[in-house]
Order: sequence, then C-alpha cells, then structure tokens
Amino acid sequence: MKSNNFVKLLLTLVASLISFIPFYITINVAFKPMTDMSSRWLLPKELYLGNFVTAIEKANIFGAMKNSLIITLFSVLIIVFVGAMAAYPLARIRNKFNRSVLNLILAIMMVPPLSILVPLYSNLSKMGGISTYWGIIIIISTFQLPLSIFIYTNFIISIPRTIDEAAMIDGCTDFQIYYKIILPLLKPVTATVIILTGVAAWNDYQFSLFFLQDPKMRTVTLAISSFFSQSSSNLNAAAAAALMAIVPVVIIYIMLQKYFVKGMIDSAIK
Amino acid sequence: MKKFLIKGLVVMLIIVMLVGCGEDTANSSNSESAKGDGAVESKEKVELTFMINHATDLGITVAIQEAIDDFEKENKNIEVELVSGVADYEAVMKTRMGANDLPDLWATHGWSVARYSEYLRPLNDQEWANKVNSGITNVITNDDGELFVLPVDMDLSGIVYNVDVIEAAGVDVNTINTWDEFLDACQLIKDAGYTPIHMGGKDYWTVANFFDWVAPSFYITDENDNDIETLLGGDFDWNNWSEACDLMMVLDERGFLNKDKLSSTYTDSAKNLAMGKVGFEFYGNYVIGEALRYNADANLSFMPVPSDSKNDEKTLISGERNAFGVWKDTEHEEEALLLLQYLARPDVMTSIASASALPAGLKGVESDTGNLASAYAEYSSLRGFNYFDRAFLPSGMWETMESTSTGLLAGEMTVQEVCDKMKTDYLRLIQQ
Amino acid sequence: MKEIKRKKFRHNHMSTNLMYVPAILLFFLFVIYPMLTGIKISFTNWNGFSQTYKYVGFENYIAMFKDKNVWSSFSNTIIYGVGSTIFQQIAGLSTALLINSKFKGRTIGRTIIYMPVLIAAVIMGNMWYFILQYDGGALNDILILIGKEPVDWLTQGNLTVWIIVLVNTLQFYGISMVIYLAGLQGIPQMYYEAADIDGAKKLSKFFNITVPLLMPAISTSVVLNLIGGLKLFDVVKALTNGGPGYSTHSLSTLVNFTYFNNQSAGYASVIGLLLFTFIIIVSLVAQKFFKSKEVDL
Repeated sequence: MKSNNFVKLLLTLVASLISFIPFYITINVAFKPMTDMSSRWLLPKELYLGNFVTAIEKANIFGAMKNSLIITLFSVLIIVFVGAMAAYPLARIRNKFNRSVLNLILAIMMVPPLSILVPLYSNLSKMGGISTYWGIIIIISTFQLPLSIFIYTNFIISIPRTIDEAAMIDGCTDFQIYYKIILPLLKPVTATVIILTGVAAWNDYQFSLFFLQDPKMRTVTLAISSFFSQSSSNLNAAAAAALMAIVPVVIIYIMLQKYFVKGMIDSAIK
Repeated sequence: MKKFLIKGLVVMLIIVMLVGCGEDTANSSNSESAKGDGAVESKEKVELTFMINHATDLGITVAIQEAIDDFEKENKNIEVELVSGVADYEAVMKTRMGANDLPDLWATHGWSVARYSEYLRPLNDQEWANKVNSGITNVITNDDGELFVLPVDMDLSGIVYNVDVIEAAGVDVNTINTWDEFLDACQLIKDAGYTPIHMGGKDYWTVANFFDWVAPSFYITDENDNDIETLLGGDFDWNNWSEACDLMMVLDERGFLNKDKLSSTYTDSAKNLAMGKVGFEFYGNYVIGEALRYNADANLSFMPVPSDSKNDEKTLISGERNAFGVWKDTEHEEEALLLLQYLARPDVMTSIASASALPAGLKGVESDTGNLASAYAEYSSLRGFNYFDRAFLPSGMWETMESTSTGLLAGEMTVQEVCDKMKTDYLRLIQQ
Repeated sequence: MKEIKRKKFRHNHMSTNLMYVPAILLFFLFVIYPMLTGIKISFTNWNGFSQTYKYVGFENYIAMFKDKNVWSSFSNTIIYGVGSTIFQQIAGLSTALLINSKFKGRTIGRTIIYMPVLIAAVIMGNMWYFILQYDGGALNDILILIGKEPVDWLTQGNLTVWIIVLVNTLQFYGISMVIYLAGLQGIPQMYYEAADIDGAKKLSKFFNITVPLLMPAISTSVVLNLIGGLKLFDVVKALTNGGPGYSTHSLSTLVNFTYFNNQSAGYASVIGLLLFTFIIIVSLVAQKFFKSKEVDL
C-alpha cells in the first residue's frame, strides 16, 4: 500500500507540475522589470516590485477586484436562485412543451456572443445599462443560466419523486415543495454551479469589454488586458496584475471546495 | 446552507466596503485637487469622455492626461475623463459606432477619413484647421475637402533600423538608394549573423504595412512613370501588383525575414530591435518608442524608403498617427471643441508630440524627437508619400491587403491569386 | 397503483411552470431578440459600424458554402470540440480516480490542477503563447538547452491545431475532474464490496460498476466540454489568431475575424448561424446517446 500511495503521489505531482507551468512563468515575469529579457525559466535576480505598483496605479487592480467581486457575487445569486427555480418544473413536469423549453434553454448556451453583440449593446445602451453593475450582471447571468438550469435539472430528476409526493400529502404548494424541501437538497450541486458559473462570471471578457466602458467599472480581466494595445504591450505589469487577481479566487475556491466535499459526503451517506 | 450564505455574504460585504472605501476616498481627493480651489462655478458642470487607443502606462497617455489636467484648471466647469487602456480599442469603437453610442472625443489612429468620418464633426471651421502640417493634410481630408481631426503628431518615417547592427555588418545606409542596394545590405547583415528584417506576422497589419511602405516606390514616386491616375481613376492594372509581391517573396526566399515571421507579433519586432538582433523593420518610427521601453540604450534610427529604379529617388512615408476628433452627435460640442483648441496650442502640442517622439501635427509646432532629430533634419528635403492604401485605394482595401499579404507570406496564396483578389475588391469597393 | 398516485399528486402545471418564466424572460430580452436582429444582418452587406447597409439576399449564404476557409475552420472546430472532449475525459477521469483515494497531497494536487480553470482563458492563452512562441518561448528554450533546433510550434498547420487542443485540455480538464469526483463519490461503496466478495478484478469493477453509474457525470462532462470546445475562441486567438493564413481558425475566431478584421458583419452572421446550428445538432445527438446509456440505481 505504501508504494501505491507513493506512485499516486508521483502521478499527482506530475499532473500538478504541468498545470503549474504557466503560473510559474507568470510569477517570473511579474517580478522582472520590462527591460529584463532573460529566459522565462530563469528566476528573477531580484524581486522587482515595480510591476505591482504599475498594476495598482495604472490599472487600478484593487478597484477592478472590487468590481469583479460585486459582479460575480450578484451574478451567482441570480444564476443559482433563478436557475434552480427554473429547473424545478423542467425536472418534474416532463411533457413535450417543457422538453422543448429545456432544449431552447440549452440552445442559449450555444449562441456565439459576437452574433448578437451590436444589437445587444444597442438595447442595453438604450436602457441605460452600459457601464452599470446591473447591466453587466444581467447579461452575465443570462448567459450562465442555461448551464445552471442544465445541471440543476439533471440533479432534481435524480431526486426521487416520493419526496415531493410526501410533501404534497402535507398540503404544500409546488413552490413550497421547491423552496423548503428540494432547494436544501441541492447543496452539493449548488457548490458545483457556484464554482463553474462564478468562475465564468469572474473571468468574463467578451461582455465586459464592451459593456463596461467606464474605466472605474473595469473588472479584473479588463484591468489585466489594459496593458496590451495594438501598438504597445507591458507583459510584466499584466502578469503582476494577473497574479494579484488570482489570489482571492484561489482562496474562495479552497473555501468552497471544503464545503463542496462535505456536501458530497453528506449526500452520499444519505 | 442559510448560515453559510449569510456568513459568506457578510464577509463579502466587509471586503467590498473596505476596498470600496479605499477606492472612493482616492477618487474624491483626486477630483477635488483637479478642480482647484476658489471660484464658485456659475456654469453647469459638463463631463466629457475622451477615448484614446493607448495603454495606461505609456508616456503619451501621461502627457495627454497632464494636458487635460491643465485644461480643467482653466475651464473649471468642464471635467474630462480620459479613457485609456481599452483592450481591443478598434473592436470597441466599431461596436459603439454600430450602436451609434460614441464618446465625445476619440483617437482615430490613422483612420479618421476611411473609417470614422461618418461619425465625426467636420472641423474645417476651427482656427487651427489651416495650420495642419502639409505632410498629412491629404490623408486627413476627404474628397469633399472636409477635415475631421486635430492631428497632434504625425508619422513621418521610412525603414527603421538598429544603428549598431548596421554598423557591425558594415552597412552604410546612405548608399541604399534602390531596392537592389537594399537587398545587398540585407545580405551583409545576414552574413554578420543578424536577422536582416523582422516582421510580426501574427499581427496581420504588420505584413500589410510592408506593402504600404513599398508600394509607393513601385507605383507612385516616379514622377515620370507612375500609376496615380489609374489608381484613383479605377483602371489600375492589378497584374502590376506582382512587383510589390515579388519584393517580399525575394526577401523571404533569400532568408532575410525572421524565421517566425508568421507567428511573432509587433511587440516581438520592437523587442528584437531593442535587443540588437535585427537590422531593419518596416514600421513607422513609433516602433522606436516602443523598443526603447525594453532597452533605453538601444541605438535606433530610420532611413528613407529606397526607390525602384536608379532614375527615381528614395522617399519618406507620412500618415496620420495620434489625431482626435469630435462625435458629430455629442451633447457637448462646444466644450469638446474647446478641448481640441487647447490641445492645438503650440506649447501643449509640443509636450504631447514629444512624448511620442514624432513631429507635431500642426505647422510651426516644435517636437522633441530625441535621437531622431538629426535624421529628420537630414531627410527634410525628401518627398513624403502618404500611406498607400489610404491615399490611393478605396476604403476597405486595407483589410484586403492584410489577408492577401499574410496569405502570400504563408504560402496559401500565389502572387497571381493575390493580384486577382486585390483587383476584385478594388473594383467592388471603388463603386461604393 | 402508479397511475392512481400520479393523478392524485400531479404538479399544477400552470403555476409551477411559472417558476421558469423569469429565466425565459431574460433569454428573450437579451438573447433571442438580438439574435433575430443578427439573422436580419445576415442578409445584408453591413460592415459592422456604418449606419447604412444594403440587403443582398442570400449572397452571404451562397458565398459561405463556396468559401474553403469556412470549411477548413469547420473541420478545425470539430477537432477542437471532439479532440478536447476526448482528452478532457481521459485526463479528468484519470485524475479524479487518482485523487479520489486517500493519500497525502491529494488536496493540494486537486487545487493546483483546477487552478488553470480559475484563470480567464484569454489570459491563460497568452501565457501559453509565451511558452510556445518561437523566439524566446519557454519550450524552445528547453530545446535549445538540450541541443535541438527550436521549432515554430504555432505555424505547423495541423500539428498546431492539435497543440491548441492540448492547451485547451490543460486549461479546462480540471472541470471534468471535479464533475467526475462528484460522480465517483456518489457511487455507494457497497457495490464495490459486493463485487469484491464475488472476486471481481479491478478492471472488471471499473467497467461494470464505475462506468455505468458514472453515466450522468460522463454525459454532463462530455456535453459541457463539447459545447465549450466547439465554441473555442480565446485560446485560438491568443495563440495563433487563426493563422498562419486561415489554417488554425475555429468557426468562432473566424466569425470574429470576419466581423472585425474583414469588416463583413453580414457574412460573419451567417458563419455564426452555421456554428450555432452545428453545436445544437451535436449536443442533441450527444444527449440522446447518453440518455440511452443511463442506468437506474
């Protein structure tokens, strides 16, 4: 068994190393000044902090993290609650009509954003939603909802109907069944939904680029990209900004992971 | 679940408040100092949005911001928000044009006539309008004589080169008057162990730029034998385009181009120039500014574009670089024009043009072009020709040039196919 | 017995279906309605930013069918979609099986493997560009170190397409791993214990217990990866921008290129519709396939 564990450790190490390579290079680049053009594998001779200063002063990385946080938080709230709610009838009432509705919703996931960009921008602009929190939150939520609905629907289908029926005997309305009984059961899969859609919201670039025109509203991905233009680029500052932005995401992921695993074990025992 | 959510929300809210507070106080103290103290504003507050296509950390962005700060001190009722660091500026501008929702002022980066003019207010009535540097009057004026932007600087360049590399290879740029002599120089550079020419082909515009640079020498510059009339008139023989194509193919076949010509970028071009690995590059002098960011000691200059035959002379290329226009549907036209007038002041324009180390856009305005000053002086008697696609081709041909030139370089298109495609699009676009 | 139960405890269709109305409303407003405008654009020669354009009927559609660049991008897209999906399932399932057992370092390993997913694809793509680029790229640095010639990895045509598949896999296989981990932990231990009593071998346990019971996880992961892979955009744009020429374009990047670089919004719209239709067909087929393989507990 010991050698088995060692082999597992080794394999995990290899996989982790490969995944870590881009980060290693980013860390190197972030701590070197622009004028240092040595190989990217080499560690910096000294820890140059100028790029982090640039990222803070020129790209307003902390402000961007605040924006990303707010946008992601509220997007996830909408995606989880509207999504789970929408999944309930789609999972329980599986007639032809609802099946088409579900397929339509899945089709939303497949719309290439560029095809609808200008009409979408135009509409949102007329509604006064450009460079606002609510504008980008609604757009991001709308495009992540299909994934959430998809995952929740599959999961609710696997919850035995007897649970619903027991509640119906007690005289609950459908919404009460959903809210009081089904929703709590969705904990483990909710963590999955939060992780998947939350990350997508945090990393959104395609929508944020166009719908957040005000520099004060920029999110993390826009702040990092602000160091690239057609006629110039500052990879080092962008790397520093990217590093600073990764930290909260990794921390929250680790926090959610523990809860996610606990949730898995709980439902498995059940 | 509820407990976790509540805890999580509280934590998030605390973080948001902390970060938010920090950000807000920074903002409010900035705006207070910008407005200055004293006089009570009687006029209503006007906010202008001014978008430029440069990153936030560039010298020119800083220079423009300083000019704006001074402008705001003089005009206490106007607040200008300079928006820089826009990732994918062109895509954003195109989308906003499509939705007709544009900022009050923006930078047109070489496209004031061909792309943005539909949305810009003509500026012929401005007092600086007749002071535009003659080198670029043609390119920023449309066929009806309308002028749409204030050029704060202009691109006046030829072929950029690294002085140290040239000298190490034993090349004397003064002897390069024709393409044949240029090819000989490239051979010397290659023999000395350097890359003669670097192209950042992953950025398609760099290859198209090569054609913009060399095309005049084949079709325009010879006063006795040129195609100006046929190009403008619509009956240019596109089979002649093979001359320009052949030049690029020769450079490629003799190994004068960098090996990764199709996968490296404009940034790589600037870096290689800075690192002293490359001899020549076919860009405007703006690449020198970018290269100096990587190596402030790099010894860089430019030389005129060679001519095609001994009967002709070498020439320069000129075009619109940093130029700003006003949205024709802006709600604050008066204030926007005021800002442009402020930027047109000689001392203000000098500081901005110097930041990009390019000649100023208006006549009689100085610019500190650093090490290039002697080169500009030396070549001041040479004729300058505007960006080929903008001066002589219908609007939309730049995109065709991008795809055909990279297709040719990648070996996906033959010279004949390139000529045919250029002809097809040329005929289609010249009708519009 | 079942019939009577259903009749008595039927969900109230009307009021319960109301629960998905908010979602549907959002979709109509922000997706379906703009998409109808997008379809309208496909019949014009709009350049994407002018206020004027002309209707050209089916010209764009006909041109698309004749355009060899569209079809090469189409085949690239299939490779991006199917290739990524296959690799991600293999990588995701193997690492999930690995991490599922208890040993030191599994938590850190799980976190690091998932970390690329946490980074925006547009940024990750750029990081990989700096590894793969010819001049000064990390990979070529290693090659030079061991005395080999550097390779221009990003201009090798078909090989580059597969390299892009690899980068995409490395970026996202953490998601598959997480989905499979959840699925694995949902399989009751008693099945394995019963099989052990019967003297089943490891491989047999895997194919007869694990795989069938993982079907919901497999179908979720495959469908998600397929859709993501077929829509692949950021990685391609960052690594090759679709080039050299058109050799590595996916349909998504081709749409973007046609729209912004070629200034043919109408034509881009048609290609976008092609991509959209294709993804729908593929995902419907995939879902039907997996429905038939699902096993009831």
